[in-house]
Amino acid sequence: MNPRDIWILYTMELRSALRERAIVVYSILLPIFLYPVMLWVMFSGMTFIQGLNEGFTSRIALLEEAPAGHEALVDSLEARDDVQITRELEEEEALARIREGELDAVLSFESPGGDGAALPENFRTVVRYDRSESRSRTAGSRIEETVERYRDRWMVREAEALGMEEADRVLFRLASEDVSTEEDMGAMFLGMILPLFLIIMVAMGCFYPAVDTTAGERERSTWETLMTTSAARIDVVAAKYFYVATMGVSAGILNVLAMFVSIGAVMAPLLGGEGGISFRMPLLAVPVMIAGAAGLALMLSAAMMILASFARTFKDGQAMIQPVYIGAILFPILIGQQTDQTLTTGIAAIPVANVAMMVRDAINGIFLWPLILQSLAVNLAVVGLCLWVARWVLQFEDFLMGSFDGSFWRFAKDRLGSGRKEEEETA
Amino acid sequence: MNTERATVSVRDLKKFFFDESRGEVRAVDGVTFACQPGEVFGLLGANGAGKTTTLRVLSTVLKPTDGEASIMGHDVVAEPEAARESIGFYSASTALYPRLTARETLIFFARINHYPEARIEERVEALVDRFGIEEYGNARVEKLSSGMKQKVSIARTIAHDPPVLIFDEPTVGLDVLNALEMVKMIRELRSEGKTIIFSSHIMSEVEKLCDRIAIIHRGNLLALGTLESMREETGHHYLEDIFVDHVTRAEGLEGAAMGVAGELEGEEAP
Repeated sequence: MNPRDIWILYTMELRSALRERAIVVYSILLPIFLYPVMLWVMFSGMTFIQGLNEGFTSRIALLEEAPAGHEALVDSLEARDDVQITRELEEEEALARIREGELDAVLSFESPGGDGAALPENFRTVVRYDRSESRSRTAGSRIEETVERYRDRWMVREAEALGMEEADRVLFRLASEDVSTEEDMGAMFLGMILPLFLIIMVAMGCFYPAVDTTAGERERSTWETLMTTSAARIDVVAAKYFYVATMGVSAGILNVLAMFVSIGAVMAPLLGGEGGISFRMPLLAVPVMIAGAAGLALMLSAAMMILASFARTFKDGQAMIQPVYIGAILFPILIGQQTDQTLTTGIAAIPVANVAMMVRDAINGIFLWPLILQSLAVNLAVVGLCLWVARWVLQFEDFLMGSFDGSFWRFAKDRLGSGRKEEEETA
Repeated sequence: MNTERATVSVRDLKKFFFDESRGEVRAVDGVTFACQPGEVFGLLGANGAGKTTTLRVLSTVLKPTDGEASIMGHDVVAEPEAARESIGFYSASTALYPRLTARETLIFFARINHYPEARIEERVEALVDRFGIEEYGNARVEKLSSGMKQKVSIARTIAHDPPVLIFDEPTVGLDVLNALEMVKMIRELRSEGKTIIFSSHIMSEVEKLCDRIAIIHRGNLLALGTLESMREETGHHYLEDIFVDHVTRAEGLEGAAMGVAGELEGEEAP
């Protein structure tokens, strides 16, 4: 291998890539801006909807007045600024209006039935609303809140009249305490989200460069130009590979940095405002994440380049590497469901999954060094396998000249199955 | 033919392919020739005759099934990188990188073909002057007209000042003026002492440009010599008649001339 030639080809590929809009957008701008913008939009949207819900008046139909002695319940409901009571509606008409969106809830009172019927002044409050409509759900909540507050006040008053202290009437009360720290909660949320984002961004960062430098090169007819230069084939492939991996790693790192910058400002309020979440991360997590992103980028670049190099057009190339992209995203999604799982020997042996898990562990301050090293070794072994496959594929002239019409899988099946390897091999 | 001075040497070169439907295809079947400095060597043949395959073997893109070929003494199989360093290859299928500027293109091809680093800037500026591409030297190739691209493409072919230049059907797809410009450029390069291998199926171009001509048909070399020697040998004046005469004899069929004329228009190389 000639490092000088690799460097010349590598810098040419990078320069060329940085002038291609799609690559700049998907490998650089998107990793930086997509998720902060997405989180900001989500936060703004939720705040806006919350504001709307809090701002509107709930239109409630009262089918009958409250039972005798409990008139104060309806009074307290009517006293609310965010509730408007409508009377003199029949049940059927009121329910029809809810369905049409002209009313938000219907309130009625009935006998409690069963043992509860024996108690004097007891009654059941019935609230009907449309759970599929946020406005109607809010109306239901407002009624429930008012009724519960009225009931609590009534019970306190009645208990006092009977001479009962609070300790006498409240038994077996549950007291639970969350012992997690703000940092624990932040790490849990980051651990669920960051591995997924990191892997998506690395995969996306590799995706367009891998297609552009293989199928795109064939489509533009620059492949044969390159083949006639004095650079060795292996140097050409190495330079292209390093270029795609660089784009993948930089996309991953840019995404992580962008997430750090934006997460405190955007995600903290989204997940609970001032109460209980702090997005801090051990400093040691950063090199672990970078190592994981680099290993992943090297692996995905190799796999994507092999598959895309069989395509004759950019579009075909995209279709051929789509399965790798989807496969890479599935692992972190599945692992994200198991928040109490840490890196094990078994998971460390599964490419992509091991990166997702070691990144999550690092965010949680867990550094299982032997397993982290095992994960990196497994990923490098996969890279080695991919490079061996690439070298094998490069031996065939119909691949080099682009005259083979089919995918990598068909190519491998043909060559390994028909025994024509010796005949067609030229290296 | 002085083989001691030969910059390109091809001996009993064979290249066979396997095709699912046709079985073994003998694209090149025992071709021998040598080229000298300051010579335009023409490879004349119908489409599918084996011209491009021969040139691809010379440029080390394909490996020969049998036989030998060398460029400036470098065997194309044993020393492919050194052989490629000595050639500039131009064909319709060797496009330019669209996102590089004309200047960047020349610098890239000079560097990757190992032109001395210290002299690259001087070389590139000389090429920019020579081809008149100063005005659009810093424009991206994708923004250039086809005529401008053609100039940049020839300039990149000779960016590393190789002693051997291979032009595979260089005028295909060009309009008359650009084709004439190409022929003029090849003549200039010959006068600089370059060895030029020029493949074409256009008789008039070969007739005007080539010092020696090799007629290739179905992978076999049918005739090799100057236009004058071919005229004497066949008794025909025009190259087209000479070509048809050789091919007809090779086919051994009466009236094959009609078939050959038809082939000149059609069949693709394997």
